[in-house]
Amino acid sequence: MNEMHYRFPPASAYPLNRCLFALKSDDAFRARFLADAKAAMAEHGLDAGSQAALLASDRDALVARGAHPYLVFMADLRVRMARGTATFEYF
Amino acid sequence: MLVGAFACAHTPQLIARPETEDRELVLRVHAAFARVRRRLAMLRPDAIAVVAGDHVEAFFLDAVPALAVYAGAEAAGTFGPYEYRFPVHEPLARAVVEQGIERGFDLLYTQHARLDYAFFVPLHFTMPAPAVPIVPLHVNVYLPPQPTPRRCHAWGQALGAILGARPERVVLMASGGMSHYPGTDRYASPDFDWDRRILDTLRDGRGAELAALTGEELDKAGNVELRTWITVLGAVGAAKAEVYCYEPSWHHGNAVVEWAL
Repeated sequence: MNEMHYRFPPASAYPLNRCLFALKSDDAFRARFLADAKAAMAEHGLDAGSQAALLASDRDALVARGAHPYLVFMADLRVRMARGTATFEYF
Repeated sequence: MLVGAFACAHTPQLIARPETEDRELVLRVHAAFARVRRRLAMLRPDAIAVVAGDHVEAFFLDAVPALAVYAGAEAAGTFGPYEYRFPVHEPLARAVVEQGIERGFDLLYTQHARLDYAFFVPLHFTMPAPAVPIVPLHVNVYLPPQPTPRRCHAWGQALGAILGARPERVVLMASGGMSHYPGTDRYASPDFDWDRRILDTLRDGRGAELAALTGEELDKAGNVELRTWITVLGAVGAAKAEVYCYEPSWHHGNAVVEWAL
């Protein structure tokens, strides 16, 4: 069977997925991340490799470490929306 | 009684359009939503039961239900600048939970969980005035192992029976699809041919055939969210779909569909 796009999230990646979930859905955490990313990531106990991948917005590296692709996608979008680095037309 | 059934795309680019999205395409999908809104006004529902796939918003890895019913007094959530809140049709939600369990579906229910944008986006564009209460129905689409298409179809058949026996006028609305691969290396290559074959099947009233799809096939086609449609298909039987729009963007097959009942 070919590799699935969405796979069972390994338990070892729970802290990373928890951090991405918070970036996506927790406005206060996202604000803390924007102010001090290292300190925010430390709240979730991310290891150095995961921290580097997240700081670099390196999707492939994050997914390889067990991150859920959708969480990577939406966490990144929400951070860009909050930073104002992308413009949106709201309907 | 069940008075109408729809399926609507919910991609967030339809409500918060970045510069990467074709504005005219987005507006064409909005026009299809406006048509749904007019139809809903004609159908005069007492409630809209929305079948959507949670984008890891109400349910994170702490607890992953295959099928869930929101049975709180109201459902609320946020997405970017949007803060939304809908009254829930509590007697209907309770009936779905109680009778669903009675029929052998081991449902999770919640009275307080954040409402994902999958529920909000179609309602933002299609909710008639005055607004009617909703019943949010969750299907796990993103956190493997998801419920099988056959199980979703069976749940839809049960929903059709439960809602059909109720005194309220109820509209079922699937939210999701079609082909897209958010967060994966296939994001820019959706399977539009697969989508079009499925739409042809639905136009023919052969939606029950989708129950035989496998989870692997849905994942491969970028259609993990089609589980919400397959759920609604269980309730609509052999009704033929009218496709209001199919608008393929560079990353997403945007479809809006009605099954006239």
